[in-house]
Amino acid sequence: MARMKFLCDADRCIECNACVTACKNEHEVPWGINRRRVVTINDGKPGERSISMACMHCTDAPCAAVCPVSCFYGTVDGLVLHDKDLCIGCGYCFYACPFGAPQYPRVGNFGGRGKMDKCTYCAGGPQQDNTAVEYIQYGANRLAEGKLPLCAEMCSTKALLAGDGDIIAGIYKERVQRRGFGSGAWGWRTAYGETITA
Amino acid sequence: MMRDRSEEKPARRGLLGAAGVAIGLAAAPAAGFRADGGTGGLPPEKENEAAKRAPRYRETDHVRAFYRTNSY
Amino acid sequence: MLIKRAAGQASRRRLAAAWQGMSSGGLDRRGFLRQAGLGGAGLASLGALSGRAVRAEEQVGGRMGALDALAPVQRIKNVCTHCSVGCTVIAEVQNGIWVGQEPAWESPINRGTHCAKGASVRELVHGDRRLKYPMKLVGGEWRRLSWDQALDETGAKLMDIRARSGPESVFWLGSAKFTNEAAYLFRKLGAFWGTNNTDHQARICHSTTVAGVANTWGYGAMTNSYNDIRNARTIIIMGGNPAEAHPIAMQHVLTGREMNRANMVVIDPRFTRTAVHAHEYVRIRPGTDIPVVWGMLWHILQNGWEDREFIRQRVYGFEEIRTEVTKWPPEEVERVSGVPGEQLKRIAQMFATQKPATLVWCMGATQKTVGTANVRAYSILCLATGNVGSAGTGANIFRGHTNVQGATDMGLDISTLPGYYGLDESAWRHWARVWEVDYAWLRDRFASERLMQTPGIPSTRWFDAVLLPKDQIEQPDRFKGMVVFGHGGNTVTRMPEMVKGLEALELLVVADPHPTTYAQVSNRRDNTYLLPICTNFETVGSRTASNRSLQWGEKIVEPLFESRNDYDAMYALTRRLGFADEMFRNIAVHDGAVVVEDILREMNRGLWSLGYTGQSPERLRAHMLHQQHFDVTTLRAGPDAPEEVRGDYYGLPWPCWGTPEMRHPGCGILYDTSLHVKEGGGVFRARFGVERNGETLLAEGSWSKGSEIQDGYPEFTVAVLKRLGWFDELSAHEKESIARVGGDDIDRVSWSIDLSGGIQRVVMEHGCVPHGNGKARAVAWNLPDPVPMHREPIYTPRTDLIPTLDQFAAMASTNKAPPGTYPTLPDRRGYRMPHLGLSVQMRSHQVAKEFPIILTSGRLVEYEGGGEETRSNRWLAELQQEMFVEVNPDDAAARGIRNGGWVWVLGPESSARVRVKALVTERVGRGVAFMPFHFGGWFQGEDRRRFYPPGTDPIVLGESVNAVTTYGYDPVTFMQETKVTLCQIRSA
Repeated sequence: MARMKFLCDADRCIECNACVTACKNEHEVPWGINRRRVVTINDGKPGERSISMACMHCTDAPCAAVCPVSCFYGTVDGLVLHDKDLCIGCGYCFYACPFGAPQYPRVGNFGGRGKMDKCTYCAGGPQQDNTAVEYIQYGANRLAEGKLPLCAEMCSTKALLAGDGDIIAGIYKERVQRRGFGSGAWGWRTAYGETITA
Repeated sequence: MMRDRSEEKPARRGLLGAAGVAIGLAAAPAAGFRADGGTGGLPPEKENEAAKRAPRYRETDHVRAFYRTNSY
Repeated sequence: MLIKRAAGQASRRRLAAAWQGMSSGGLDRRGFLRQAGLGGAGLASLGALSGRAVRAEEQVGGRMGALDALAPVQRIKNVCTHCSVGCTVIAEVQNGIWVGQEPAWESPINRGTHCAKGASVRELVHGDRRLKYPMKLVGGEWRRLSWDQALDETGAKLMDIRARSGPESVFWLGSAKFTNEAAYLFRKLGAFWGTNNTDHQARICHSTTVAGVANTWGYGAMTNSYNDIRNARTIIIMGGNPAEAHPIAMQHVLTGREMNRANMVVIDPRFTRTAVHAHEYVRIRPGTDIPVVWGMLWHILQNGWEDREFIRQRVYGFEEIRTEVTKWPPEEVERVSGVPGEQLKRIAQMFATQKPATLVWCMGATQKTVGTANVRAYSILCLATGNVGSAGTGANIFRGHTNVQGATDMGLDISTLPGYYGLDESAWRHWARVWEVDYAWLRDRFASERLMQTPGIPSTRWFDAVLLPKDQIEQPDRFKGMVVFGHGGNTVTRMPEMVKGLEALELLVVADPHPTTYAQVSNRRDNTYLLPICTNFETVGSRTASNRSLQWGEKIVEPLFESRNDYDAMYALTRRLGFADEMFRNIAVHDGAVVVEDILREMNRGLWSLGYTGQSPERLRAHMLHQQHFDVTTLRAGPDAPEEVRGDYYGLPWPCWGTPEMRHPGCGILYDTSLHVKEGGGVFRARFGVERNGETLLAEGSWSKGSEIQDGYPEFTVAVLKRLGWFDELSAHEKESIARVGGDDIDRVSWSIDLSGGIQRVVMEHGCVPHGNGKARAVAWNLPDPVPMHREPIYTPRTDLIPTLDQFAAMASTNKAPPGTYPTLPDRRGYRMPHLGLSVQMRSHQVAKEFPIILTSGRLVEYEGGGEETRSNRWLAELQQEMFVEVNPDDAAARGIRNGGWVWVLGPESSARVRVKALVTERVGRGVAFMPFHFGGWFQGEDRRRFYPPGTDPIVLGESVNAVTTYGYDPVTFMQETKVTLCQIRSA
């Protein structure tokens, strides 16, 4: 069974933010909520690298471990999704997440948090696939349509890979061999607890 | 002419028009989308435990095109 | 602070803001995700709030009803309207509403991908900040009016200006965002109105490239393609930042880098996001490109790395380059540019010996007072090393806007008619024949035949033509009116003076999807009209990508609100101006709607000189339909492709010789002698005569594959055909057409004015290229500097490199530069205007003391051009919310400036100043500051949001860098200097 993963090839990422706007476009995510963003280290200096970040859909997800209402669930595809009807917006998952994925919309004038929102790997949530209800709560369900997350599909330099973990690891390995060097698959180990031999 | 129908199935956007939703997806509401979300005013029926965890990924032509264009 | 550049902090900060309930914008109007748990109460509002349904209503301003549940989904292809890469956009449309974007895997150019801008174009169309209906200023208030009233009033006012001041007093400013058809129509409109005062953004983008490259080897365009960079073994990017300006180009650059383990070098004053991915980064002082290129060539010639055979066969005047280059030994290069000799030697060796090597440039090279000379020096570097005319080599010039190449080719310019025919009588007679109007009728539209043949006033100087004394301008009167289609107001330097020019105009008409800076930056109170034009996603037409490929875009949705497309708006205007029947003689118009295909067919009938004749609407549509059959590296359709595209290069990159029926495949790579002309092969254009000072200008011992003339040859005319005995291969029909063109003297009818295409057909049968087989010119004797020479920027901090004031006084008589100095050109005139040079440069002696920091400008990936439409796109606006200046940490420390603090950037002219945020970074070197050029809406410290028509203000506003940029123009094209001026920065 295929295990879905994300892999950002930092030697390709040019911080163009296509992944960010593709996500906004696909899910109509409002201003202030960013399911995906690009993080740059050593900005403006030699050694500068950018990485596109979203929920990594961890194998042993810390968010799920700390959630007091157990709103998270794992799917057979290896995704970590959540049920917004159960979420109480407590914010524990944000503390637990190594990648800063959970987002909280503002709901009132006194700092009240709304239901947590995060990357769904373009796979919706526990509502019926591709219904209006699912779209409003979680966004589009591309996986059910036989597609992959739009952020990866539209990545300008084909830095952001998504899909079957074995296949994208193979693609990345081939790149490393061609280049003769590799900066490593950032976040891969943290999320999936394994190494990529490259 | 550049206007061709979606080559595989209208799927999600087909939800907005129910046309092709039935393909492969048990979850598709046959009545299609209406202003109330197609639920007749009732709370929508959610997926059961098995359905919500069920695999959705399929290696379609679309997905294969993604892998192909990412390789050299 | 949301500049987001600080290492890894932005995300945390944004999360923290959300945590505290302080989401950074107030725009989550749909409440989506706000309380996305669906309680019973949430359900009632479900239908109204559902994402795409709401968008649908907005899309048509509320006119559409509910969605039809059974409507099918259409996939419609268009092309991204941002940069020149030409990414295919696939829109999913339901019930006439654009509901989604999908990746276009089949496009050989972008293969499904986009940058931030391309991935958000759907919002451009839907954007609620668009101009929705015609408006005018009445006593400083915006009023809505109907299209008919707006057109009647503007038409009457234009006719009034024409009656009082003549046709030359209206400036027609067009757009690189036009389709080819609209650009051509706009230039034709200028011609029929009776003026050459028609310009567009190429002036401020790559006009110097076109002038420089065309004067070197014949045509002003990228020689190869983005895709072909995959073949390179050495890639030098000098004066370009494709990671932000052309992100999809980086897909090909990085793939090439990896597949061939190619060397990648970035030469730039700024450590750009592109430089991050290079093997080697060379930091230069802004404005020293020629010393660096000559410094490389010094090493190349010193070590014998040049390609002697290539130079002998295909280059004219190289000895003079050798002489100039000897003036640039490593020590002098380092003294002027700051680049160490060893580093330059390494790079020079790579470029000359690890071939194929390509040189990529962009506006870092072109937007200079020495822009044309820069481009010429770059081209000569390619020639000297034999890196032109084959796969993996070439001058890969990344052009800016989506159709700036096409709009330039369409002659939307002050100095030529479509197809670079120029403005002389024979050019006008050619186009009069194509347009089927009398030459005499056209001539009488102008104030005089002399003005008809005189280049107009460039877009960089239009306001000088409003403000300068009448006797300083060589036309009957100053500009009184301006009509702007698709052009930002913050794109010209010296904005404080531009604003005065705006205020002095009698009439201002802006036709655009957005109000643009023009609408709010001045204190005009009346006689200002805004006409809502739709985006190119709401109409059809072709656009030419940087690699010369034409791509046809289909209409995705009907024009939103009350907007109209460019064609229909121009037609409606020409109706009021009284020449619609003549202008649309061969272009069908049904009920006010122009048939766009007819415009392309008319272009096909006239653009022989650069091979825009084979690209019929039918062929272009077939290419879009069969995209998947084109190879990603060669761009060629293989033997398995459907017959209608088989063997073609994608998008029929010009020159695509002959008629569409001749099925020329287009030229993937220019000047490629390894291919037959009918397979896309070519040679340098014999454009400059056959001989000079006893030396031949024709190629020697080099010809394209299969040529029956195995040497250089001049361009083809009937006389040449007769001499070769090929004349009778013309058909009776072709001869008849030639006779009509030639009249009494058919011998002079050439390949470029033969309307039958017969001459092109016959010479190609013999394996020859219609434009002749010449040498590229290392010496371009018609330019101010026939051999490119370094000249210091007008405002330079290196006052030791320009003459002292005493020396300047002495130069008046000797006209010779003192040793060790590099003065700019003396004051002169051009394009009907005075053009100051050395007298302004002498200000540097004073200015450099008070304004010690070099100011340069450039792009951000999220925005484009003047930025009005992208800053109105909330998905993009969220990513760059504030205008900023990049300051080196040393300069910041010396001024007490902290990262994220407000600063004033002060300019040396017009007491100019802008208030922006400081971004303290080593990305810029000491003594250099950088600002992006996409911002507007603030002016000299004032937020002018209230001056926009209500509801049309972009989400993000900011100061324009051009409010502090200064005087300085290229002598050949009047390109403005935006890359090197001086400024001072103070904490605000």
